[in-house]
Amino acid sequence: MTSTFCSRTIWSGLKVRTILQAILAALVVAALIGINPVGEVIGNPAEAQVTTAKRELNVPATLVAEAQQVHAGQDITLAFVMTPKPTWHGYWENPGDAGMGMSFDWQLPDGVSAGEAKYPVPDTLLISGIMNYIYEGNYAVLVNLTLSENIAPGPLPITVKSQWLACTNEVCVPEQDTLSITLEVVDKGTAVSRNKEFDDHRKALPQPLGSDATFMVRDDLFRLSVPIPAALDVETPYFFIIEDGILDYSAPQKVNRDGDRLIIETTARGDMLETISGVLKIGPGIGLSLDASKGEVEMSGIPLSTGGDGGNFNNGGDQSHASLLFIALGGAIVGGLLLNLMPCVFPILSLKALSLAKAGGDEHIVRRDALAYTAGVVLVAAALGALLLALRASGAAVGWAFQLQDSRIIFVLLILVTAIGFNLAGLFELPNVNFGNRLTQKDGASGSFWTGALAAFVATPCTGPFMAAALGATIVLPPVAALVIFAGLGLGLALPFLLIAFIPAIRKRLPKPGPWLDSFRKAMAIPMFLTAIGLIWLLGRQIGEDGLALSLIFLLLISLILWWFGGGQAKGLSRGTITTGALVAAIIGGVLLLPGQQATNSQRAANASSATLPSEPFSEARLSELRAANQPVFAYFTADWCITCKANEAAAVQRQETADAFAAANVAVLMGDWTRPDPEISNFLEKHGRAGVPLYLYYAPGKEPVILPQILTVSTLTDLVA
Amino acid sequence: MFYKPAITSLAIVAAFGMAMPLAAAQKTGAIAQDFKLTDMNGKTVQLSSFRGKPVVLEWHNPGCPFVAKHYDSGNMQKTQAAAREQGAVWLTINSGAKGKQGYMNGPDAQKLFKETGMKSNHYLLDMKGVVGKAYAAKTTPHMYIIDASGKLVYQGGIDDKPTADQADIKEARNHVSAALAELKAGKSVSVAQSRPYGCSVKYES
Repeated sequence: MTSTFCSRTIWSGLKVRTILQAILAALVVAALIGINPVGEVIGNPAEAQVTTAKRELNVPATLVAEAQQVHAGQDITLAFVMTPKPTWHGYWENPGDAGMGMSFDWQLPDGVSAGEAKYPVPDTLLISGIMNYIYEGNYAVLVNLTLSENIAPGPLPITVKSQWLACTNEVCVPEQDTLSITLEVVDKGTAVSRNKEFDDHRKALPQPLGSDATFMVRDDLFRLSVPIPAALDVETPYFFIIEDGILDYSAPQKVNRDGDRLIIETTARGDMLETISGVLKIGPGIGLSLDASKGEVEMSGIPLSTGGDGGNFNNGGDQSHASLLFIALGGAIVGGLLLNLMPCVFPILSLKALSLAKAGGDEHIVRRDALAYTAGVVLVAAALGALLLALRASGAAVGWAFQLQDSRIIFVLLILVTAIGFNLAGLFELPNVNFGNRLTQKDGASGSFWTGALAAFVATPCTGPFMAAALGATIVLPPVAALVIFAGLGLGLALPFLLIAFIPAIRKRLPKPGPWLDSFRKAMAIPMFLTAIGLIWLLGRQIGEDGLALSLIFLLLISLILWWFGGGQAKGLSRGTITTGALVAAIIGGVLLLPGQQATNSQRAANASSATLPSEPFSEARLSELRAANQPVFAYFTADWCITCKANEAAAVQRQETADAFAAANVAVLMGDWTRPDPEISNFLEKHGRAGVPLYLYYAPGKEPVILPQILTVSTLTDLVA
Repeated sequence: MFYKPAITSLAIVAAFGMAMPLAAAQKTGAIAQDFKLTDMNGKTVQLSSFRGKPVVLEWHNPGCPFVAKHYDSGNMQKTQAAAREQGAVWLTINSGAKGKQGYMNGPDAQKLFKETGMKSNHYLLDMKGVVGKAYAAKTTPHMYIIDASGKLVYQGGIDDKPTADQADIKEARNHVSAALAELKAGKSVSVAQSRPYGCSVKYES
């Protein structure tokens, strides 16, 4: 009965697909005349195709062993390699709202036992409000077999009957197959060759987080707090829970970052468990498996994002967005207002404001000017915001002030700030963009607009700290709402100027322009130069000393051109055209000669090796080389997402005392970075009985390695070589 | 590049402040939401008109192998007949949208009803998915029991063997039969919630 039933369902899946694709018209006709499509399928000679079932599976499975030869007393990993046909998918161990995980019915020889199945990190698939946890491409489910010590050499037949569900977005078909493989038990001395594809299979599995998470269920609210280092970049995190009945799978998940914790909030379905487990996905194919126990969880910190992968929740838009928008908008306006006091903006603003006062009675000109200035500020702020959103949409992981991650933009900003500084100091006058003294019909409106644009652009290095929360909200909100916030930032920046223009009483209270204004203007060059120094420091960190020296030479060249231009102005000569040409040439030359991305990366690497305790990348080959040379070795394994690792490094590893002691004893340091799964490191960890990081090992020359405790102190390390 | 999401989100911004009735699940122990649907014969059926009797809701999709498991084996028909003998009302609901797997119009459903020997009181057509979403019906089958006072006392799977294999039925605990028997005996339902299993409901969108 079972097999007959099975062939029907398989056939019905195919049937529906074929009909949909090829003879849609026939189906319509059939429906119109009231033929029941299911009855038709059942009545069809589909039974004839029973034995070809295996070929017709929509998500076929193949059973593969990591090695054909095995040793008694050891583990061997088997993989169910699943290869869904296009448009078909298989399910994770918890399938979500609908669907089914895999089941395994093993037939194993005596002395062999099968472990739990290990699934790769799944994807989300939300169809009409029904959440599915699935795999769309090929994937492998791994199972460890344990062989007892007393298994005799010879063939070892393994058979497993497995069931799983194969679905498209439209139909589901339960599938099953009986898979067999015959391994060979060989003597301990015989070498076995392993299947390299298992490296890729293991890379797709979640990595054990190591630290415990905390969860809370209160009424309809579920919260999970996961220890993750604050410095780790995560991309649309999503929590896949293993246990059923706790979470509403189809509800969006809100994510906050609060220091070294990542907090997820979503809708609860039930509260009957004291511990839960699951996989926290932090990027495409990267997941951390974790256990959580009950505790208090506050939704603190700043919001990171909502939703799962691929924008599944774009059609959400709940009310909390509206209030978030207003709070963030308020924050942005206040933040913009405060920006006026920052060293990069204050000089421009104060002088422009005083020039308004000087214009005195002509309300019309003053207001037109203020509006043009506001337009300039708001447009540039919104344009920078739009660029940020566009970069994010294209997949780049950028934050606000992203432009400061590009050395070319820092260089251009540096030139700009230096030039403004020299202008304020009186080295030269600008014909169009003037920061102070002239307010004529001719250049008034456009001059004000460009001053505003400049102020907004120059202000960006200063937006950072106190704008973080409001700008963080822009990542959660839909793009248009995010743009409103960026524009709000600009509005805040322009607000004092608008007030001065539209409330004459304020204008009257401003000090009357006089000879002191010239001194004030010159003094305002100081904050500008301070900003320039800040940018030089930033540039130096990114491109290194050599690159920085070259950039400063170009900066000097540009200053000389401006000086010569200013000299001409003093004598009444017009050197504008030549100056513009020379400036453009110098800036382009400077940008082209800036070290490229590669140099920037190698500078980052240099920064890393300039750590207190320098290290080499870990490899087993390098380890045996050092061991052969009788050098003591300290090997440590870490990952950016591992909070215990980072704490140990700060408290014990990257300390001057440790570095000095190790240097004195000539200890070689090897560092294995497991932020992304690395099969060589995974194997090495496994050999030392660890599923994950941290792992600290010390190899004294000629001795067995010592595994150090998971929590390190400086003395643990210095005592090794004492 | 960011232009298109901007347009879509414009609509979302416009929707700010409006309550979005998302698929609000019915709570076990609370009064189940009333509804009206047309059955396969064109008759209007209202849930609240059955007050005084227990009501079973069964989400159905004839193309789903998990539904087939319980109909081909006769298990669902048997459960339906037993429920009616105990004085319960059985409503089979199809929330499949037009063009999706398992969608039924009136005549289709009448034919199927006769062929499969269904024993439910009404076969209800919910092609817009309104009632399905109001009850957060996720799978076919997905079962709900409402007691004589209108309170939702069970939601979840038909039984505790989430497979498509008919051979599993005889060893499974039929949650619906068990709950109805408990109601009949004046007891409270011991398993009031379980994991529904089956194909996803093929909603319109």
